[in-house]
Amino acid sequence: MLAIPHQQRLPIAIAALGLLFLALFLLYPLFNVFGASFLDSEGGALTLGNYAKMLGRPFYRQAIINTLGIGIAATLITTLISVPFAFALARLPVVGRAAILALASLPLILPSFVSAYALVLLFGRSGVVTQWLQSMGLGFGSIYGAGGIVVVYVLTLYPYVLLPTVAAFKAVDVSMEEAAQNLGSSPLRTVRTVILPIVLPAILAGALLVFIETLENFGVPFVLAEDMPIFAVEAFKLFIGETSPNPSSAGVLGVLLILMTAAVLVVQRHFLASRRFATNARRTPPLLNVGRGVQAASSLYCWAIVILALVPFFAIVVLSFMEFRGPVLHGHFSLDNFAPLLGRASRPFFNTLIFATAAAACATLVGVPIGYVVARQRNGMATLLDVVATLPFAVAGTVLAIGFIVSFNSGPLMLTGGPLILVLAYTVRKVPFTVRSASAIVHQIDGSLEEASISLGRPPLQTFLRIVVPLMLGGILSGAVLTWVTVASELSATIVLYSGPWSTLTVVMFQSLESGGAGVATAAASILILVSIVPIALLYRLVRRYGLD
Amino acid sequence: MAGASRSFGPVRAVDRIDLTVGDGEFFTLLGPSGCGKTTLLRMIAGFCDLDSGEIRFGEKRIDRLPAHVRDIGMVFQNYAVFPNLSVADNVAYGLRARKTPAGELAKRVEEALALVRLAEYGKRKPHQLSGGQLQRVAIARALVIRPQVLLFDEPLSNLDARLRVSMRAEIRELQKSLGITAIYVTHDQEEAMSVSDRIALMNAGRLEQVGAPADIYRHPASRFAAEFMGTTNLVEARALGREGGLLSLRPEALRLSEEAPEAWPRLAGNVVDLEMLGPITRLGVRLGDGTILNVAILDAPERRLNQADKVTLAYDPARLTVLR
Repeated sequence: MLAIPHQQRLPIAIAALGLLFLALFLLYPLFNVFGASFLDSEGGALTLGNYAKMLGRPFYRQAIINTLGIGIAATLITTLISVPFAFALARLPVVGRAAILALASLPLILPSFVSAYALVLLFGRSGVVTQWLQSMGLGFGSIYGAGGIVVVYVLTLYPYVLLPTVAAFKAVDVSMEEAAQNLGSSPLRTVRTVILPIVLPAILAGALLVFIETLENFGVPFVLAEDMPIFAVEAFKLFIGETSPNPSSAGVLGVLLILMTAAVLVVQRHFLASRRFATNARRTPPLLNVGRGVQAASSLYCWAIVILALVPFFAIVVLSFMEFRGPVLHGHFSLDNFAPLLGRASRPFFNTLIFATAAAACATLVGVPIGYVVARQRNGMATLLDVVATLPFAVAGTVLAIGFIVSFNSGPLMLTGGPLILVLAYTVRKVPFTVRSASAIVHQIDGSLEEASISLGRPPLQTFLRIVVPLMLGGILSGAVLTWVTVASELSATIVLYSGPWSTLTVVMFQSLESGGAGVATAAASILILVSIVPIALLYRLVRRYGLD
Repeated sequence: MAGASRSFGPVRAVDRIDLTVGDGEFFTLLGPSGCGKTTLLRMIAGFCDLDSGEIRFGEKRIDRLPAHVRDIGMVFQNYAVFPNLSVADNVAYGLRARKTPAGELAKRVEEALALVRLAEYGKRKPHQLSGGQLQRVAIARALVIRPQVLLFDEPLSNLDARLRVSMRAEIRELQKSLGITAIYVTHDQEEAMSVSDRIALMNAGRLEQVGAPADIYRHPASRFAAEFMGTTNLVEARALGREGGLLSLRPEALRLSEEAPEAWPRLAGNVVDLEMLGPITRLGVRLGDGTILNVAILDAPERRLNQADKVTLAYDPARLTVLR
């Protein structure tokens, strides 16, 4: 039977369109990056020489070591800090738990390189705090290099471990604990032998996310690494500096970076897939009875981390209202820093808003149907779609952008130099996220609702639009707003792809970092922070008011 | 339905099923979980394709038609009432899909809601309704489109025991008064017997026996049918001093000797198990050769029975079924 069964037609059509889009704007650019790495600098002959050349240089070998070393250190420290934090939030009578949880998710939406930049402004060579300390004859170690990068990673990425781990601690049914204690286990032994093993998959999943983020991050090492070679930064520098027709060296670094992140993802899939203990707590475990001392200590610990992570952002907002002359700060209140960005040079501001809106809309349009198919279908086609749609996650923004430039700088799809290339790159980068969130919602919608609608006479597409989409609305909206916010502060792909009038707020920050115009940079950062928080706050109110969750 | 088959991997979920359901009949597919009854129902609804075979409504072949044009009402196990629509909009959903004019639509929705005794509930949202009410909305929604066949997929299994009993009577009454053909899936033997005109007993993708409830109960065609349709005693004929192979003897076909007609054969044994359940008393009686028989007798106040008592049983020879 060659005919496609009726109930399969809509999913197959969606999958085909989704795969077509991803093939054109993800696989094809990646293929070209791979291709570039295997061709000689004239783009003529196949060769492995590029790999030999790059890996033969101590500088790039050091880049691999630095990137992995910093990633591992940041991941370990983040995990060590976040697990006790999560336990305290889930099980101890910490003061202000709701506020801590809300504040702890803020770093997820705030751009990490702004935090790095704030660190430079405060503690850098001519930083505010540095100068103040120097005036009193005090000095401290440098924040540039590995140490500073790790600190910023820990402070901006810890929610990736914290939030799932809190949820996991709360999902351990009390009866587990009671059973263990009933069998004669001491409380500490119960934590070690029963609770931690149940929570471990959540911790590991979060830790791997942190690790991947550190491998791909471009902005933080760009601000803080100085002469230290870091992968994503070197790939960018090589690509910008490469004059020959084929970007072979940048291609090699790009491929190596993809291989590293892909390896982590594969490990995650295989390792975690077999170790999931969903216990679906019927009774959330109660807060533990502890003395005032423990309560005070745990509260202090949680608040310290939350506040430390937000101080850089707060500082940069304050600094943006001060007067700068070049990089030098003068202690007067001033709105001058904002004048160019909101006045005569407001293009980047509006570009940011427009690109973020367009990309959020596109990522939603592409991701929601794919997420629907991935959640509803159990076959090879859905698995393929799932894998391909998750792939952008393993691709650093810099690498994808290089692929875009190589692929779309000529021919029928000539996109370089325009705004569309940015929107498409953002869309591809955010698709894994919208697919994940959409499929998570679809999993919660009973499949028989669709069957009921179809048997009542609505064809599958109408059923999808009339029943599934309305039920997903709250989730779709949240996903779109989060996409919007993260696109607005995207740096790594933007910096490779923007051209001429199509710069964004992040580009303005990036440029003034290089030219030393701290005032404009702080203003751009402040606007970015505002642009990140306001939509989330609005969404929160909207969802609450209309009960869309 | 002729030769309907469907495999999932190596498993033949539905294996060459031939069935004919009469007009206005209440027909039940009964069997343990995994026997293929739900797959068969979903084939009729159009949510599961046939590997081979065909399904017809009268002369019209429907198994190749997409589900949304088959004109079938379906009532789901978990109600599947659209949570984003009001009760009235749920019921109107199928009519809107058929572009029914507004005036007629309102009238039919009202009638359908009255039919399931939810006339006052049109404006409510599903989350304000109880499980039993939700299932009535689902039934009204399926009835209002006047489908050729009404399918029920274990519609009562999410309701509590008391409600199940009253709902099944209600469903049966509704189906008879409208004269609509119904195909009903359940794993509950008692439920099947109470609502059905005919039952198709399924096992491992095949039809085990098709017939009126009383027929299947009294004359099971196989060991599976005998065991699945209520409790029974499966005994080798030798244990009763008879010829032949395996016999099925229902517990209620056994009585204590002093309460049984003269003509019934007698069996001697010891009481090894005694359960007083109110209207009936259940006994386990071990015969001389070790066979244990389950006996169900009506409660009688003057009777005195204790564990380990010697008793003589009598059985109705007309109620023995030879299984092989």
